[in-house]
Amino acid sequence: MSSHIRQSFVMTRANIFSLPRRVSISLSMVLSVALVVCVLAGFLSMAKGFETALQSAGSPSVAVLLGGGTNQETGSDIPASVIRTLEAKTDDIGVARHDDGSLILSREIVVTVDVKPVGADAGRTIALRGMDAAGSSIRDNVHVSDGRLFASGTREIVVGDRFARELGLLVGETIRLGTVDWLVVGRFSAQGSAFESEIWADLDAVRSAFDRQGQVQSLRLRLAEATSLPLLQSQLSTITTTPLIAVSEADLYAAQSGRTASLIRLFGWPLALLMAIGATAGALNTMMNSVSDRTVEIATVRALGFSRLSAFMGTWIEAILLAAIGVACGLTISWLAFNGWQASTIGANNARMAFQLVVTGDVMLIAGMLGLAIGVIGGALPAIAATRLPLATALRSRG
Amino acid sequence: MTSSLNHDPYISLSKITKGYKISGDDVPIFSNLDLEIPGGDFVAIMGPSGSGKSTLLNMLAGIDRPDTGSLRIGTSRLDQMSEAARASWRAHFMGIIFQFYNLLPMLNVAENVELPLLLKPLSAKERRSRVEKVLDLVGLTGRARQYPKLMSGGQQQRVGIARAIVSDPALLLCDEPTGDLDRKSADEVLEMLRFLNRELGKTIIMVTHDPQAALYAKRTLHLDKGNFVEERRAAL
Repeated sequence: MSSHIRQSFVMTRANIFSLPRRVSISLSMVLSVALVVCVLAGFLSMAKGFETALQSAGSPSVAVLLGGGTNQETGSDIPASVIRTLEAKTDDIGVARHDDGSLILSREIVVTVDVKPVGADAGRTIALRGMDAAGSSIRDNVHVSDGRLFASGTREIVVGDRFARELGLLVGETIRLGTVDWLVVGRFSAQGSAFESEIWADLDAVRSAFDRQGQVQSLRLRLAEATSLPLLQSQLSTITTTPLIAVSEADLYAAQSGRTASLIRLFGWPLALLMAIGATAGALNTMMNSVSDRTVEIATVRALGFSRLSAFMGTWIEAILLAAIGVACGLTISWLAFNGWQASTIGANNARMAFQLVVTGDVMLIAGMLGLAIGVIGGALPAIAATRLPLATALRSRG
Repeated sequence: MTSSLNHDPYISLSKITKGYKISGDDVPIFSNLDLEIPGGDFVAIMGPSGSGKSTLLNMLAGIDRPDTGSLRIGTSRLDQMSEAARASWRAHFMGIIFQFYNLLPMLNVAENVELPLLLKPLSAKERRSRVEKVLDLVGLTGRARQYPKLMSGGQQQRVGIARAIVSDPALLLCDEPTGDLDRKSADEVLEMLRFLNRELGKTIIMVTHDPQAALYAKRTLHLDKGNFVEERRAAL
């Protein structure tokens, strides 16, 4: 081991062992770093959870067709003539077909409905999606977790697991959506994706209940292959009755998640950075206190021949270690408090979308790096101060 | 004032000037100070506060540098060395004994004594062996694992002496080594310094206010206003 490393090791060890002399201020630094890490990890896990919920909902093998020049289901309208034109095409348009040659597609509309959870004062605005029978099978990673799917032409609904849990809905119960009662016949799981924030029902039943006869907002089409979207888009360009947009389901949800996740991060980062600046000032104060507390010790070993570098490293490593303890505390608290925490927000179609906060490895890495940066930056100046202690003055002090 | 024994000077200060700026004013401490100390000498430096004792000791330790003049110890010109070089020189050629012992309270006796050895390319076994030997020498056998705060002032100063001599330096600088001790402990420490000088040939320079402590030295130099005004040699 080189002399410099041995010196730095001894200085660091001496600093760490002297921590009990300044436990309060050291603890305050640890806590302030932990707080910064918690705040940033909270925001990032929220953004990550939101992204995960939306992105896992989207499949690259499913196309979503929107009409009327909008790129969201709200405001979209697909005339029946367009659907007839598509169904009439017998050549390859990039869409998978049933055995009988018909296209695998689902006509869908979304209406927002207020549902009052059991025991709650206020209602929740939820997306009720009317779809054809093929609607659930077109979607990837969706399966009925309890009961069965709705039957055509009936006022039956299946509820996403996440909202079913939140609303306390059980199979066999009846709830009022709009002006009519609906029977809950099943629950479905979509691996925690945004689909689980919806209620699904038969298209005609929804159109009838909400006076939307004949309306179709979107078409979901199972692509023949994930690469078939351009072929479908070229086929759509021959239809001129209304502007049509075909996007992959994955891209549709990625665009939605990107905007909101960016917004969450836009709030989270400045707040965390402001707090980090405050924590850095705190770290600076803590470490200046540490240097002041160890003036005689630092001057003594310097007088014995220890290098400036060892004095610097001893103080700097102490700051980084304290920050690392703060990071460990912050990440542990974040994990326990945030990971798996259920949250909801207003998503697409102005309906509530539930998602789960996820404290992933990269969230922990980013929040942890910010916490460590507090120690690295906050400890640097006091470490430099430690190398500049006037040895003569320090040596005359009582140790 | 120039002093010497029969040997070639081991320490040589020539035309040293040193001053400080205090509140913007230049305050001279030394002007044209000369001093020669042969190897193996034991010199006590006395003088009133402000006479320049500490400044002289700091310059000899390489902690401070003269403004002008030459300061040679052995073959090293301290006045021409960088701060890093002076730190390295201290590690290899000099031991310091402090008034308040300056032991690191979080390290035990052996770890405190071992500190200067960490600056040398020695194995852990060699370091341990040297620490044991030097603790035997200062009468602290069996105290290696003890912490300084559990020891008396005299014992702590003996740890300080052990730390100063563990790397076997030729020069020992003592800054009021008995200033914080009772008479009995002070005499024990001074006896030890005398032993190190007579038996091990260490050159010792001791700053002290205590006339009785100065009696242990081979000669005493009195500083006043930056000049040596009197020299007393001990009776052989």
